[in-house]
Amino acid sequence: MPRVELLDAETAPLSAQQYFSGGDPGPIVAALATVPELLGPALGFVGPALGAGAVGVRIKEFAILRTSALQGCSYCINAHTTVSLDVGLTGHEVRALRGETALEEAFVLAAERAMIGWIDALAGATGAIPDDVWAEARAHWAEHELVEVAVTVGATMFLNRFATGLQLPTSPQVLERLTAEGLS
Amino acid sequence: MTAAQGPIADAVRDGTLPGRVWLYSNYHCNLACSYCLTESSPRSERRELTAAQMIAVAEQAKELGFTALGITGGEPFLLPWLPEAVLEMVQHLPLVLLNNGTLFVGERLERAAKLAHPGIALQISLDSHLPDINDMARGPDNFSKVVESVPRLLERGVQVRIATTTAGPLDSPALDPLKALVASWGVPADDHIVRPIVRRGRADERGLGVQAIARDIPSELCITADGAFWGSFGPTVRNGRLDTDLLLTRTILPLAVPANALLAAIGGMPQGADAALGIR
Repeated sequence: MPRVELLDAETAPLSAQQYFSGGDPGPIVAALATVPELLGPALGFVGPALGAGAVGVRIKEFAILRTSALQGCSYCINAHTTVSLDVGLTGHEVRALRGETALEEAFVLAAERAMIGWIDALAGATGAIPDDVWAEARAHWAEHELVEVAVTVGATMFLNRFATGLQLPTSPQVLERLTAEGLS
Repeated sequence: MTAAQGPIADAVRDGTLPGRVWLYSNYHCNLACSYCLTESSPRSERRELTAAQMIAVAEQAKELGFTALGITGGEPFLLPWLPEAVLEMVQHLPLVLLNNGTLFVGERLERAAKLAHPGIALQISLDSHLPDINDMARGPDNFSKVVESVPRLLERGVQVRIATTTAGPLDSPALDPLKALVASWGVPADDHIVRPIVRRGRADERGLGVQAIARDIPSELCITADGAFWGSFGPTVRNGRLDTDLLLTRTILPLAVPANALLAAIGGMPQGADAALGIR
């Protein structure tokens, strides 16, 4: 059960109604709508931060799914397991990013391993990030690409804590898909 | 004194934005009227604004370019600090103070008498010249308390307006005796407001009043402890739950935040039927 009321098309504030006009916008929007002045700015940040950007959807889903797994956010893990499959990640890769199997077996490209190292250092630890992690990432990726992924990790961590703290529910459709894919 | 500058002041000047800012000082009330928008009663959660918040709203409303204030509730006079706060607020903008007129006895009457000020009007609710009819909606002895209070306030120099909420036509001849009663107190006809029941809050639960959507409700900025709303008919309560459909922002201060949100919401909104429905 969510900890807050999830607004719908009837109860959504005036300034949030545009997000409900196309149907159920999902629990993140439905919860954010209770503070309507934050809805637009939050989505305005999260949308581009989680979108394809310059590094592309595959790397973005590395960042989102891996961060969600490291933060233990079941809502985001479930949602982005399906998104990751939709953008072409394999079940093997998804399991590895979720921490269920070894990364080394799923990802053989040095660039992708370096990016996952950067993501892990951002999302899975506190304090300073070792120079060798940065150097390895920079050996394969441009500065702006690592900046972009850092923003994605930060936006994902916001969503992780938001969804976990408010106990946002995974939709039945997502749960059915996960079961069908053997990834529930 | 220089006129306020900025988009809010411009919108008020050109009529895009109504000049009055409403404040719900509190939600609890000594009455439990049948058509109450906020389900107010003695048992209601108080949800009070503080005096400091209300004074800050008044000060910032003036700075932004609003031209008037309105205070409503609940019953504002249940707040012991209210008269003193109102006297500070009126240093910034003129205001109308809605109340049920049932509490003006003894010390409360003398404290209300301090509100004899050209910038303050007390708007008291009275729905019928027939005590039984009035009291059916507003509670036992309401009529007698109001007809005793109004002359007492007028004698003390307090400006009084009367508000009548009706389920019938706004121009019904059945209201003529009430209008005559109000006139007999020396209250000008323009200060006797007749308005429909709006079908929100308890009125909606009971199927009373006129249906109104956002654009039918005057787009006055309304400040409450729960946030800022589109119109004084916005922050209604239904089955104990606050309606959020007309919520603008949870932020109430600085007042520019909800004021700008209201201005943005008005943009593109087609003209409503508030004038035709008589909602005010």
